[in-house]
Amino acid sequence: MAEEVVIEVNNLTKYFPITSGLFLQRKVAEVRAVDGVTFAIHRGETLGLVGESGCGKTTVGKCILQLYRATSGEVMFHGKDLCQLSEKELRPLRRKLQVIFQDPYDSLNPRFTAADIIGEPLQINSDVRGRAFDARIGELLDIVGLAPYMADRYPHEFSGGQRQRLGVARALALQPDFIVCDEPLSALDVSIQAQIINLLDDLQEKFGIAYLFISHDLSVVRHISDRVGVMYLGKMMELADRDEIYKAPLHPYTQALLSAVPIPDPAIEAERAVIVLKGEVPSPINPPSGCVFHPRCPKAFEACPKVVPLLEDAGSGHQVACLLYKTSWP
Amino acid sequence: MSTLLDVRNLTTHFYTQDGIVRAVNGISFTVDKGETVALVGESGCGKTVTSLSILRLIAQPPGKILSGEILFDGTDLLKLPTEEMRKVRGARISMIFQEPMSSLNPVLTIGRQLSEPLEIHRHMEREQALKESANLLKSVGIPQAERRIKDYPHHFSGGMRQRVMIAMAISCQPQLVIADEPTTAVDVTIQSQLLELIRGITHDLGTSLILITHNLGVVARYAQRVYVMYAGVVAEHGPALEVYHHPFHPYTVGLLASVPRLDEPRKLRLAPIEGQPPDMICPPQGCPFQPRCQYAIPKCAADKPGLAEITPGHFAACWVASSGDMPWQKK
Repeated sequence: MAEEVVIEVNNLTKYFPITSGLFLQRKVAEVRAVDGVTFAIHRGETLGLVGESGCGKTTVGKCILQLYRATSGEVMFHGKDLCQLSEKELRPLRRKLQVIFQDPYDSLNPRFTAADIIGEPLQINSDVRGRAFDARIGELLDIVGLAPYMADRYPHEFSGGQRQRLGVARALALQPDFIVCDEPLSALDVSIQAQIINLLDDLQEKFGIAYLFISHDLSVVRHISDRVGVMYLGKMMELADRDEIYKAPLHPYTQALLSAVPIPDPAIEAERAVIVLKGEVPSPINPPSGCVFHPRCPKAFEACPKVVPLLEDAGSGHQVACLLYKTSWP
Repeated sequence: MSTLLDVRNLTTHFYTQDGIVRAVNGISFTVDKGETVALVGESGCGKTVTSLSILRLIAQPPGKILSGEILFDGTDLLKLPTEEMRKVRGARISMIFQEPMSSLNPVLTIGRQLSEPLEIHRHMEREQALKESANLLKSVGIPQAERRIKDYPHHFSGGMRQRVMIAMAISCQPQLVIADEPTTAVDVTIQSQLLELIRGITHDLGTSLILITHNLGVVARYAQRVYVMYAGVVAEHGPALEVYHHPFHPYTVGLLASVPRLDEPRKLRLAPIEGQPPDMICPPQGCPFQPRCQYAIPKCAADKPGLAEITPGHFAACWVASSGDMPWQKK
């Protein structure tokens, strides 16, 4: 891909301390939410990030936006490492980095009108005022498929799908280069989800925005992403082009995830073998040794509990962190 | 196969300050012995209210079951005295709820909660019931069951809690289990674990299962027959294979087209169903789907279509489908 890189994440790590004691807060353990994640997103590209709850995908999004400060690692944006910048230095860059949240019921202020919600970023980060301000609100509502006369309505007057459109309009207000979409569909009904997916697709084409699309729905991620990363327990297990990862998944975890997604066709389902993983995701406070997936992996062998697999190229840009594909052993 | 549950013309409304919410408007369906039947539909289509009505768990007021019959093994549950109904709930019909988080009692141990139905319905002594609870936990795949019956719900993960719910549901070997969105609160890999568990157990015990879900994939994997619900009525029903391969109702057609599928080449654009699900306080005239339907004809807005058998065993409530000329089949 020749397009310029918008966001580059290098070896990103986020540990949350667990403290104990009333006055002297001693650190007794830490939650390894994100553990050494590296990827880049290009202009006009969508990187899908999938994984089960607690795998750290949302934390990655928040670390990029500097809503969490990373424990270590870099987030490069326009040649600057966001992790090293102060809040004041970040401010002018924040307008180019936006987010669409999961729950359109919780993420809109119920006492704000639609115009207030969409206009707030403009009030804070731009000098658009007066008539130009109203015009911009109308324009934004139009872009996301809402009627300009709805500007004076409150969130409760909108349906779930329309509220998520408001969330999209708010993210678009400052013409961002990059939007983190954190499970933007999971609160919506099936027939409405497709409306929002199409909207996000159109906006990307029109404005060349790069998306980090965080979701647990593998079918939706396949539809919307150019490349897909699979996370498990804070680590990137596999990262490849969309078609590559869905046609020929390499990591046993990706294979199990894909087989767990039921296909809406009884004839196909009757023939399909499902890989049912044993057990549950272990605690990120005390992750398993070696490969974090080894206790649940159907293909684990002797080396897996001992050696930590690195995310390595398994040919034509298909990266995988699994010892099955390791070619050179020390 | 003989019919276990026969719901006829069930109507449940809620009387609220804003008006009458017409949640369920004359639903009829049957479940055979040992069969898995799915009720699919989006939020607000009445699928949960239907299942709560079967168990008579609708809060009254504001809710009221206005009419209908729920024939379970020949007796009408709606006519049973409260005491008799109690003997049905949990013993002959049991339910797996959506949120294992909020449907377990946080201040009672898992063992206490599991043994409660055993003491009430199977008249076991406390000791014996606890022993049986441990066996039940083991059967749903929870390790160290003897120790874990002394734990509280917050010691369990979401998937584990749902296993406890499943153990509770099957504890009295019911004839019918109603699973209301049993896996929406858990991850995909846990979802397949739980559904395989439910399938295995109901198969072993010969239990009938009503699977309530919005996930078309889950239905395809587990159900023999499907009822597609929209706005409190059945839009279409038939054998799962028929409904998926030859959908007769434009709503089913739309639902199937709007979800991206892993097994098909990626489409450039999805085909959403435009518009919003109807407001159940003032539902649209005629067919409830007609304002969103791209195939609607004038008759649709005037008259409400009833279910018609279009091919043997496959029913749809649609004027266009009844005419035999279905434009969506030509595409």
